[in-house]
Amino acid sequence: MNTKILVKIFAPLMIVALLLAACAQPTPIIQTVEVPKEVVTTVEVEKQVIQTQVVEKIVEVTPTPGPNPEAVISGVESDCEIGFWTFWLSPTFDDYIKNTIASFEETYPGVKVNWEDHQATFQDDLRNAFAAGSAPDVINLSVSEGWVSDYATKGLLLPLDDKVPQEVKDMYFPGLWNEQLVDGVNYQFPWYQGINVELVNKQIFDQAGLTLEDFPATIDGLPGLCSTIKDKTGTLCDVRLTVNDLLAQMVYEGGVKVISDDGKTFTFDSPEAAAWLQMYVDMVKAGTVDKTVLVTDQDRAGLDLFTTGKAAFYQTGPNLIREVRSNNPGLYGYLGVVQAPVGKSNVLGKGLMSISVKNDTQCPNASIALAQYFTNPRNMLDFSKLVAVYPSTPASYDDPFFSAEPVAIEDSAKPIAKDIISKYADIVPTIPNKADVNQIVLDAVQQALFNNVDPQQALTDAVTKANALIQQ
Amino acid sequence: MQRKRSLTPYLFLTPALIVISVFILYPIIAVIYYSFTDYSIVTPPVWVGIKNYQQLVKDTVFWQALSHSLIYLLVTPVLIILCIILAIIVNRKLPGIHIFRAIYYVPVISGSIAVGISWRLMLDTNGLLNSLLLSLGIVQEPIQWLAEPAYTLAIAMIMTTWMGLGYYMMVFLAGLQNIPEELYDAALIDGCNNVQKHWHVSIPGLRPQIVFVAVISSLAAMEVFNEIYILYGPLGGVLNSGVTMVFYLWRQAFRLQHAGYASAVAMVLLVITLAFSISNIRILERGTEAS
Repeated sequence: MNTKILVKIFAPLMIVALLLAACAQPTPIIQTVEVPKEVVTTVEVEKQVIQTQVVEKIVEVTPTPGPNPEAVISGVESDCEIGFWTFWLSPTFDDYIKNTIASFEETYPGVKVNWEDHQATFQDDLRNAFAAGSAPDVINLSVSEGWVSDYATKGLLLPLDDKVPQEVKDMYFPGLWNEQLVDGVNYQFPWYQGINVELVNKQIFDQAGLTLEDFPATIDGLPGLCSTIKDKTGTLCDVRLTVNDLLAQMVYEGGVKVISDDGKTFTFDSPEAAAWLQMYVDMVKAGTVDKTVLVTDQDRAGLDLFTTGKAAFYQTGPNLIREVRSNNPGLYGYLGVVQAPVGKSNVLGKGLMSISVKNDTQCPNASIALAQYFTNPRNMLDFSKLVAVYPSTPASYDDPFFSAEPVAIEDSAKPIAKDIISKYADIVPTIPNKADVNQIVLDAVQQALFNNVDPQQALTDAVTKANALIQQ
Repeated sequence: MQRKRSLTPYLFLTPALIVISVFILYPIIAVIYYSFTDYSIVTPPVWVGIKNYQQLVKDTVFWQALSHSLIYLLVTPVLIILCIILAIIVNRKLPGIHIFRAIYYVPVISGSIAVGISWRLMLDTNGLLNSLLLSLGIVQEPIQWLAEPAYTLAIAMIMTTWMGLGYYMMVFLAGLQNIPEELYDAALIDGCNNVQKHWHVSIPGLRPQIVFVAVISSLAAMEVFNEIYILYGPLGGVLNSGVTMVFYLWRQAFRLQHAGYASAVAMVLLVITLAFSISNIRILERGTEAS
């Protein structure tokens, strides 16, 4: 009986137990599976780490949304290849030019720049290139030599006023943006500028009993200074006429009005013009100037004379002090620098270099962009840090580089550079047949200097010839 | 076969004819055309008829340049005389004479630019020549050689002569060495002294070389440019005192950008040069036939 009762009680329990046991996973299997589970977990952790790194990288290289702040020219053509010629910058500045081009190509993707540097034959090469229809799109032209207005007058350069946004124009000193205007239109982005200073050989000044403070502030003081130097030391003055553009020299130095307001009659035989020429005639007659240098068109000729220690002073840019230092280190220690004397126009000077775009370029916006990029405040500042040239954008001068106390004599103009450059202006009016008229003036000036022709008479004859020329 | 043979010489001539057409004929024809145009190189030429030639007649600087080029021809007789004398001197079997011949030839291989720069340095206000003159007490103040109109052409002509000496001397030396020694022996037997034997034997024997040197050096003198440019720069000397025909041509074309007018100058120069060369050869050939 007891057995039956036990069977009745335990039999269902056993069945239930067996059923439960059959449904449940056996314990040894669970233990075996746990190990692979751990492996899987480890793999998942590793994957997560790798993915985290990838995500971090993506975050790092993703650009900030919005345009590049230096890409200020819109509508730049894609897939453009443009030519760019510079004047006498290679090989010294190869790295700077190449790096700037590389960053330009990043700023304006799709534009490729082919750079060439031309030197002594620049003008001949450029004229031939224009004649052959293979002129570069973007050209580094000299403002001081009047190249911009020469090419613009012939219709070879692109007018910029209506193609450049006002906020871009405002980046530059107004006096520099408005240089070399032809019929009131601008054809150039002002690039690097120079400051004319007088390099002084303090040894010769000492011999002559002079100090740097004795250097005249105005051009009229030069004859007296040269006379003193010649009398005391026997040294001739190393001054140079701008034989390629005497009209401009007359305007700046003599305050001469060279052409009538309507541009139809030349007026460079005025008493002011005669007085200007008389000053040089007097110096030649007094034998106080080196005549060879006086009428050379090569700045190097005057610089070489100074560098050899045979001249008391020479007017040039501080950037060329490096020539004195490398060619005559003995003189470098005796160098002084004073501000160049100002002429009767009271204008300190005009710009040095610019960048223009050719008129028939296939990529006008890309070309304008390149010209603007090279002349933007940051790139000009970088250039100034390499050599003693000065930016044409006021913003560049906010950098501490310009406010730092000058260490080398080459840097002596840095603190005053902004003030001087901001006052530069092109006050020479547009002159028809400029090269021919300058040749006529050059002949007249030489007649007065070397052939005893009265300066007034020489200039009057020249005006007659020049007027006949433009009336043809 | 016959046709093939007749074409062959022309095929051989074709490369040379192409080169001559491209580099000689076309430029000459282009210059003739440009001389009747107003052409500034960078803009297309505009036909102006004979205006450039009319302007040339009235252009005082052009006549000045022409006269300078004609004066420059004086280099030719000076070169011939000096080179013959020099060739006679070095035509001796002396020890080390080869060294002298080589030294005289150095200016020829130096190149006009290098020579011009060294002459410029020498003639500079503070140059070697003035230093020498000052140290010898010959002058009290340095002479500005390169800025004195009176010296401009003379300095360039002396430089041209100095540069040409070695080359033309070699030409005459080669001629002298072709003259049979027996002729000199005969002259000595006839009673000639050393100078007379050269006058009666060497000079007639060198006539072909004299013709060659006269033509070549006078053409070079008419086309002088490098010496003027290197010594005096783009101004060509003060008061145009060193401006020659080719220099004036260059100034008009590349400085003032009057390529049309410069082409007219080039045409005048071409006519003068041709006439001069033909008459030079005729006169000297007539002399050869007569002798």
